[in-house]
Amino acid sequence: MSQEPEQKQPDSDIEFDDTDLVPRRRFLTLAGAGLLTIGFGSFAEGLVGGLSEPFNQQVGSLIFQPQQPVPEFPISAIEPDKLIINSFRGTPAIATETYRLTIDGEVNNPLSLSMSNLQKLPLTSMVIRHVCVEGWAAIVQWGGVRLRDLIAIAKPSAQVKYVYFYSADGYYESWDIDSVMHPQTLMAYQKNGQILTPEYGAPLRLASPVKLGYKLSKWVTRIQLTSELGKKRGYWEDLGYEWYAGL
Amino acid sequence: MRSPNQTLTQKPIQKPIQDLPAKVFHWVSFVSLFLMITSGLQIYNANPVFGGRSGIHIPAIFGLGGWLAGGRHWHFATMWIFALNLLWYGFYVLWTRRWRHRYASGKDVKALLVSQNEKRKNYAWHRLAYTLLIPLLLLSIFSGLGMYKPAQFYWIVDSFGGWEALRITHFMAVPLTLTLAGIHSQLGRKVGGDRLLDSMFWE
Repeated sequence: MSQEPEQKQPDSDIEFDDTDLVPRRRFLTLAGAGLLTIGFGSFAEGLVGGLSEPFNQQVGSLIFQPQQPVPEFPISAIEPDKLIINSFRGTPAIATETYRLTIDGEVNNPLSLSMSNLQKLPLTSMVIRHVCVEGWAAIVQWGGVRLRDLIAIAKPSAQVKYVYFYSADGYYESWDIDSVMHPQTLMAYQKNGQILTPEYGAPLRLASPVKLGYKLSKWVTRIQLTSELGKKRGYWEDLGYEWYAGL
Repeated sequence: MRSPNQTLTQKPIQKPIQDLPAKVFHWVSFVSLFLMITSGLQIYNANPVFGGRSGIHIPAIFGLGGWLAGGRHWHFATMWIFALNLLWYGFYVLWTRRWRHRYASGKDVKALLVSQNEKRKNYAWHRLAYTLLIPLLLLSIFSGLGMYKPAQFYWIVDSFGGWEALRITHFMAVPLTLTLAGIHSQLGRKVGGDRLLDSMFWE
């Protein structure tokens, strides 16, 4: 798993400074306020999000230009200290030598690729802004294989509309095919000129300027092409975050 | 507000009257801005603009949505109401030519500089305050659009000189708007009292 979102869950929202005794009245006020905001939270996800998200997704995909590269930055603009490490369950141990990337689902040529297979494919490098749902951003250089090149080798059937990404730590994500086929959506194994390190998603992770960070799965082991979205759409999405998350 | 006759001169009391569209705009702005600011502060708390995760967090009571995902739902739902309200009002102001006489102009600046009439000067300040709110609200939308879709609107991010500056601008719109709105309500009371207030909100 990967990436960004705030770790908080609705039911863990009330946080007190437990080094201090909270006076009873203040405690009740805080508890009341907490319940109120949690109530609003559920209401938001049930109704406000339910009403607005499909519409915002329509608008988001409408203004998205699937084949238009997002302008990149010079190497000198890279912000190495700004990329925060987020993960929902720590960093999984993956042996690069035995690692395989599976590409399957509605494809005519399912693949199982080793890192050396992947490194023989054309390398694409880009310097882009990585934007986290939490509000921070970092300019990062990523190097890797264009996802659309991998998909092309797998020969997808014509009705494929969505792509699922499964990670070694149990994280999962799903994307619309347009964003998957964007020329700057990479399966990356380099960051800021170096080989990717485990905490940033080694051996292979998603990188793209067109999606929020929580869509950019680390430690990807399986890419599944499909014509339909299942009930499960992504770790954070299933907790209430928006699915499209396009930038 | 029409002429804010204070009672000193004992003229027959002329009630201020607001056109219905102005009242609708004012109400929708009032409510949607409240929702935008509270949900915005909820989003802010996920990673405070100043200091990051270890920075100063806004007390939870001011946040709307309960957690980041909920705050974002509220923010990106209300943004349509907030922005479209400004849009139709813009057309309305152009169409009715309200822009010619309802907003601060050179006359108000002149009054502030040279007038000896305290009431005229207050009125000029009042007009200036609510006039300034409009570009501030537009700036919030512009900077917000750049943060919401920074890849599609990369030129908005660039126009602020980068992500940090964009974030700070978008956030600073909150204290600036609250301050200006506070001044606006105080000046409204000063130039028109309860009658002006009632004319905009209730009558």
